Amino acid sequence: MKETKILTEKLSLFYSEKQALKDISLEIPEKRVTAFIGPSGCGKSTFLRVLNRMNDLIDNVRIEGKVYVDGVDIYERNIDVVNLRKSIGMVFQKANLFPKTIFENLVYGPRINGINDKKALDEIVETTLHQAAIWDEVKDRLNENALSLSGGQQQRLCIARALAVKPEIILMDEPASALDPISTAKIEELIHDLKKKYTIVIVTHNMQQAARVSDNTAFFYLGELIEYDRTTKIFTNPSIKQTEDYVTGRFG
Amino acid sequence: MQRLLDEHLDKLKTRIIKMCSLVDEQVSFAIRSVEEENLELAGTVIDLDKKVNKFDVKIDKICQKIFALSQPVAMDLRYIMSSLTINSNLERIGDIAVNISENILLIQKKPAFYNQTKIAEMFTIVQQMLKNAIDSFIGENAELAKKVILSDDMIDNMNAENHVILKEIMKYNSENIEPAVALLVISRELERLADHTTNIAEDVFFIVEAQMIKHKYEKYLFTQDDEEEEES
Repeated sequence: MKETKILTEKLSLFYSEKQALKDISLEIPEKRVTAFIGPSGCGKSTFLRVLNRMNDLIDNVRIEGKVYVDGVDIYERNIDVVNLRKSIGMVFQKANLFPKTIFENLVYGPRINGINDKKALDEIVETTLHQAAIWDEVKDRLNENALSLSGGQQQRLCIARALAVKPEIILMDEPASALDPISTAKIEELIHDLKKKYTIVIVTHNMQQAARVSDNTAFFYLGELIEYDRTTKIFTNPSIKQTEDYVTGRFG
Repeated sequence: MQRLLDEHLDKLKTRIIKMCSLVDEQVSFAIRSVEEENLELAGTVIDLDKKVNKFDVKIDKICQKIFALSQPVAMDLRYIMSSLTINSNLERIGDIAVNISENILLIQKKPAFYNQTKIAEMFTIVQQMLKNAIDSFIGENAELAKKVILSDDMIDNMNAENHVILKEIMKYNSENIEPAVALLVISRELERLADHTTNIAEDVFFIVEAQMIKHKYEKYLFTQDDEEEEES
C-alpha cells in the first residue's frame, strides 16, 4: 500500500465569480501514475495546476479548501513557491525548451540553485538524459541547439530538464498530444520507468493512453470529480454511469 | 522496444502454460487411474480440478484487463482472443479427466473385455494430441497444430468402433452392462477430449497464421467472396 503524496480536501477554484473546480477531495499515492481524464473544459488541467500553484500566475484566481503535499499545506503563507515548483516539476503539451544548447537547457535549473561545479553539472546532464531515455540520441550533440531536436526528443528533453532539479513529483499536461505514435509510445514507456522513483500525475484527453499508463484514474466533468479509482476498475467496471458513458465513448 | 503490453502478455502466457501443465497432469493421472486401476490417482484428478478452475478465472481476468487497458491489435489481439477460448477448452478437458476418473471409481477395475475395445489405443493418441497441442501453443507452431487437427478423425472412428463392440458385449451378458456403460462413457469422453484438443490447435493456427479454421469442413468453403461479403 503506497503512502499518500498529495491530498486535496474540498478544493474549489474560482476565476473571479465563476467556479471552475467544485469541492475536489482526492488522494494521490506516491510513486504511482495518476491520470486525470474528462471532456474539454472539465477542469482537469486547472486542477493539475493547483498542485504546484501555477494558477497563482493567473489574475483573479481564488481557491478554497486545502492542498497537502507530504502532509504540508502548500497554500500556507510561508511556503516558498519557487522551491515548491522545484520539487513538483511540470511538463506541458508543447515542449518549451530554451533557445539554448541541450546542455544549457539541462544545467539552467541546477545552476540557479547554486550548483556550478563542472563535474557535478556533467553528471546531472548524463544522469537525467539517461533517465529520460534520450542519452544515446543526444550524447554527441550536447552543444547543439535544443530546438534542432525532433518534437518527441524535445519533449523528452523537457522531462530531463524537470528531473535535473530532483523533483519528487512530476505533473504532465497532455505531454504526448502533439507527438506522433512512436514518440508517444516512447513517452509512455518513459512514464512507466519514471514511476519507480517519482510520483506522476498526467492529464490526458486520450482515454486509451490513461488506460495504458496509469495506476489510478480520476474522471472529471464540469469542474467536479465524478469518480476516482484504480485504472483497471474505471476501464472494466466503473461505479458511476456517467463514467461508464464517458469511457465507452457515449459522450465527451 | 519492450512494450507495456509485453508485461501483461508474459503474465498471461505464464498462466496458460501453468494451466496446460495442470490439465496435462490431470489427463495423465486419469488415464493411469484406468490402466493401472489406481483409485487413489483417480481421487487426485478430482482434487486437481479445484486448482484448474482457479486458473480458469485468473486467465479470464487477465484477458479482460488486457482488452480494457491495452487495446491490442494484430497478432496480440489474436493471441488474447485465442487465449480465452484455449483457456475454456483446457478447463473442459480438466472436467473430462474428472469424468473419466469418476467412472473408474464407479467400476473399481477394468472389465475382462477391456482389451477388446480401442480405449487403450485412444488413451495413447489423445495424450499425444494434448501434448502436441500444448507444445504448438508454447512454440507457436502451426505445423504441429495441423498434426493435432488431422488426428481427430482417428479418435472419432475409434469411438464409433467402441460403440459397436460394447453393444455386442452388453447383449451377450447382462452382468456386462454396468462396466460396458462405464467404458462407453470413457470412450465418449475421450472423443470429446480430442475435440477440445483440436479446438486448441485450431486457435494456435489462428494465432500464427491469422486464419480461422474451426468447423473444419467450412474452412474449405470459406472463400475470398465470403470475406468481401462480410466486410460490406
